[in-house]
Formats: sequence, C-alpha cells, structure tokens
Amino acid sequence: MLVKAILISLVAAFAMFDYQLGTLYAFRPIVTCPLVGLILGNLPAGLAIGASLELLFMGNISIGAYVPPDEKVGSILACAFAITLGKGTEAALALAMPIATISLAISNVINGLMPVIVDKADVAAAKGDLKGVYAAHWAIGLVGVVKDVLLVGFAYYLGANAVQGILDWIPSFIMDGFGIAANILPAMGFAMLGRLVLKREVMPFFFLGFLLASYMNVPSLGVALIAIIIGIEKFGLLNPQANTDSPQLAAEGDDDDDF
Amino acid sequence: MTSNEAMVSGRGVSQEENPYKITKKDLIRSSLNVGALGMEFSWTYYKQMNLAFCLMVAGMLKKIYHGRPDDYAAALHRHAAFFNITVQFAPFVGGIAMAMEERVARGEIEPESVNDVKAALMGPLSGIGDAIFLTTIRVIAAAVGISLCQAGNAAGPIVFLLIYNIPAFWLRVWGVQKGYSMGVSFLEKASENGLMTKVMAAIGIVGAMVIGGMTKDMFWATIPVQIGEAVKGKDPTTIQSVLDGIMPGIVGMCAFWIYYWLLSKKINPMWLILGTMVLGVVGAFFGFLG
Repeated sequence: MLVKAILISLVAAFAMFDYQLGTLYAFRPIVTCPLVGLILGNLPAGLAIGASLELLFMGNISIGAYVPPDEKVGSILACAFAITLGKGTEAALALAMPIATISLAISNVINGLMPVIVDKADVAAAKGDLKGVYAAHWAIGLVGVVKDVLLVGFAYYLGANAVQGILDWIPSFIMDGFGIAANILPAMGFAMLGRLVLKREVMPFFFLGFLLASYMNVPSLGVALIAIIIGIEKFGLLNPQANTDSPQLAAEGDDDDDF
Repeated sequence: MTSNEAMVSGRGVSQEENPYKITKKDLIRSSLNVGALGMEFSWTYYKQMNLAFCLMVAGMLKKIYHGRPDDYAAALHRHAAFFNITVQFAPFVGGIAMAMEERVARGEIEPESVNDVKAALMGPLSGIGDAIFLTTIRVIAAAVGISLCQAGNAAGPIVFLLIYNIPAFWLRVWGVQKGYSMGVSFLEKASENGLMTKVMAAIGIVGAMVIGGMTKDMFWATIPVQIGEAVKGKDPTTIQSVLDGIMPGIVGMCAFWIYYWLLSKKINPMWLILGTMVLGVVGAFFGFLG
C-alpha cells in the first residue's frame, strides 16, 4: 500500500512537472489514468477510466486567465481509488470533480504566497542577477509539485478506507445510477467546451460536423480535415492577395477588360 | 533611413568580427530552453508567465548587451514584466522582442516600446493560439486517443500526445525564427489585409465542426423504453431505436444542448454532475435509462 501510494504520488509529480516539459498535456487523465492503472496492475481499467475522465474534463481548460478545477489531482486520485477498491468508471466519475475542486482550493491558498517570490525575482532581474530569476522559477514550480505529491500521496494512503466505506455503504442500485450518469456526463464536458468555442457565426458548421458524423459515420479526424478545406475556401486563405481587393472592384475591372 | 543604414553596417560587422550577432542556433535554442518550455511551470496569478519569459530570452539579451552590464540588467528587468500567452506562441513573441532589443541596443527605438509590443500581442495571439491548440488540435487528439483507449489499446495516450505536440513544437521552433526575421512588420502586414481575422475565423469553423461531430457519440446511456407490443424473434422497438433511426446520435445532441443551456444560466458544473447522478439513479430505478 505504501509503495503504491509513493508510486501514485510520483505520477502526480510527473503531471505537475509537465508544465516544465512544455505543457505537453501529459497531465490530462488520458495519460495519467493509464499510468495509475499500470502501477495498480490493471492497465485496461486505467485506459477505460482515463477515456471517460478525459471526456468529463474536456471543457476543463485554462483559457486566458481562467483557472479550472484541478483535473490532474482529481483524476489521478479518483482513478487510483476506483481501481484499488475494485469499482469501475462510475466510482471514478463520482469522485473526480469533488477532488479536483478541493485541490484547486488548496492551490489557491498556496498561490497567495507566490507574489513574494515573484517580487524577489524582480529585484534580482533589476540587478542583472539571472540566477535569482532561475531560483524563483524553480521555487514556484517545485512548490506546486510538492503540493500535488503530498496531497495525492497522503489522500491515497490515508483515504482509501474512508472512500471504501462510503462506496460500500451506497446501495447497488444507486451505483448503477452513477454508472448511467457516467455515460451521460461526457455530454456535459462537451457542452463546457462548446460554451467556450461556439459563436453564432460558426453554429451552422457545428451542425454540419454533427451531420457528417451522424449520417455518414465520418470519424473526428475526417470531420476536422473537411473543416480545414471549408475554412480555406470560405476565407480564400490560399490567395490572400486577391482577397484584399473587394469583390466589387474586381467585377468592375472585368467589365473594363470586356470593353 | 537611418535605421536601414545602421542595420546594413551592423550586418557588415557581424560577418567579419561580431560574434555577438543573434544566430539561428541561438533562436532555436531559446525556443526549447527552460524558460520556453516552462512557461506555465512558474505561472502565478500575479504576473503569470513573467519569470519564464525572462529566462527564455536571457541568453540572447546577454549577447545583445555584451560588455554593457547595466543595459543588460535593465533589459532583464524589462522582460520580467507581466506576460501571458498560449505557450506555443511564446517563442514567436520572444523572436520579435529580440529583433526589437537589437534596435534598442543601437539606440534606434525606446526600450519601453518592446514591452508595449509584447503587451499588444498577448491578447490576439492568445486568441488564435487557444483556438488552434486548446479547442481544435487538443480535441482532435483527444478524440483519436480516447477511441483507442476505449478499445483497450495502450497506444491511446501516446497517440494523443503525438498529435497534440508535433504541431506545438514545430510552431515553437518556426515561430521564434519567423518572429525574429520579420519583427513587427509581420503583424502590421497580417492585420493590414485582415489575414489574422480570416485565419481565426477559419479555425473557429474547424473547432465547431469537430465538436459537432463528436457530439454524436457523447451519450452512451440507453433509453430502453419499449413502444408497442414486443414481437417474437425481433428486437423490441424502443424510444432509442426509433430516435436513432431518424437521426443517429440525436440523443447526445439533445443532452449537449440541455447542458449548454444550463451552463449558460451560470449553473456550477458540480451541481450538473450531482443532478445527472440523481437522474441516473431515478432512471435506473424506474427503468427508463440503462
């Protein structure tokens, strides 16, 4: 149990360190849950839970300065609990969002202290002291890593019994209901994404994408490629020169040629 | 005119004896260094990516202001100012900033103008960047990865990472060179003929279509309510099968819009999850959901 707790907290460290590797999005559930599954000796469950949580958290992205619930810690812990306690995707889905919200709250408290370090780096930079800036960069990043490692490690090691108790106490027909909810919630993840992306002028294309998938079974990648062609054609991106002239002027030019 | 002359003379020097000219190697290295890759590692609410941006360009600043420690310190301080952008575009801005810093070092432009340009780029480039990476490429990568994972294929996570990151790293390396060589003029040109707006609109279409296509498969529960008498040897006609006969995936589409509408009423996703669980339990109990 202790070894597993340590290994799972290392997955959390890796997820947080992803922000130093170029924000590869390796902190997403589709990557971390299979790793957790591998550690707990149940890769198939990790893959299945990873796919479901990825859909649940589809709209959970940082756009602009918006900071969403912490899907890193939420999905690693939820997946670890679900697999350890022999429960399925429905248990992971029930646990993920509450844990993610708690983790974000803890981060917000810690982040309140960060301006002190940033200001120290500012003074260092003004003196031309690059090492001071490096120190601040690593300090801020590693505080985040340590927070996630401790949170995931302790929560997993100490919380498994409590979570087991809660899940065992829930009658089976309620867990069945959670399973059904797990199969509906991906629609919510997509609706969150839709709220960010869908503007009035692209609505027809949203439905076009749906119809291609619905009636013609075009897979997502195919829909994307068709969409790229439509985008290029609609805005004349391959011929920006011609596009700078307004269509009316071009028509007049043609008339002149005819005469 | 004076700026052109200065640039020509600067180039003349560089060929023979100026080892302090920014080279292609410097640029590419800066697009993959600790700062460039760690843009969000030291992210704070306070000044966001300021430390990482400073680290990204520090090496080139040292070259530009060689033998001028006070100017170097001032430049370092300048680039430790508030910064935020879609991370893959950070090296592009770094390239533009360094092209400008070379002119600052020659006394051609005011130091403040560098941060003015950086600040002006943050909004538009983040808009484009988020539309390209977060809401389009990421969603496509996730769609492909998730379908592999659901089939139990362990390549799912790897394929997801490759689809997302190959364009991301290409943009980093290409962007820093493009930004440096074209400088501010690129942006003037791009906004002059509206290319930027058009590209963004085209990306918006791609994002919308991909999300629309994926909405079809977003409802995995079934509605096993039978219609009419069950006929022996035939699958019973259910509400689900009738709906799918009219338009496959219409249930997922409806669920999408119900959530979309609830979210537009500013309802917290936590409540929606709890509500969905209650619906699932009630549905399982009475048998109208399966």
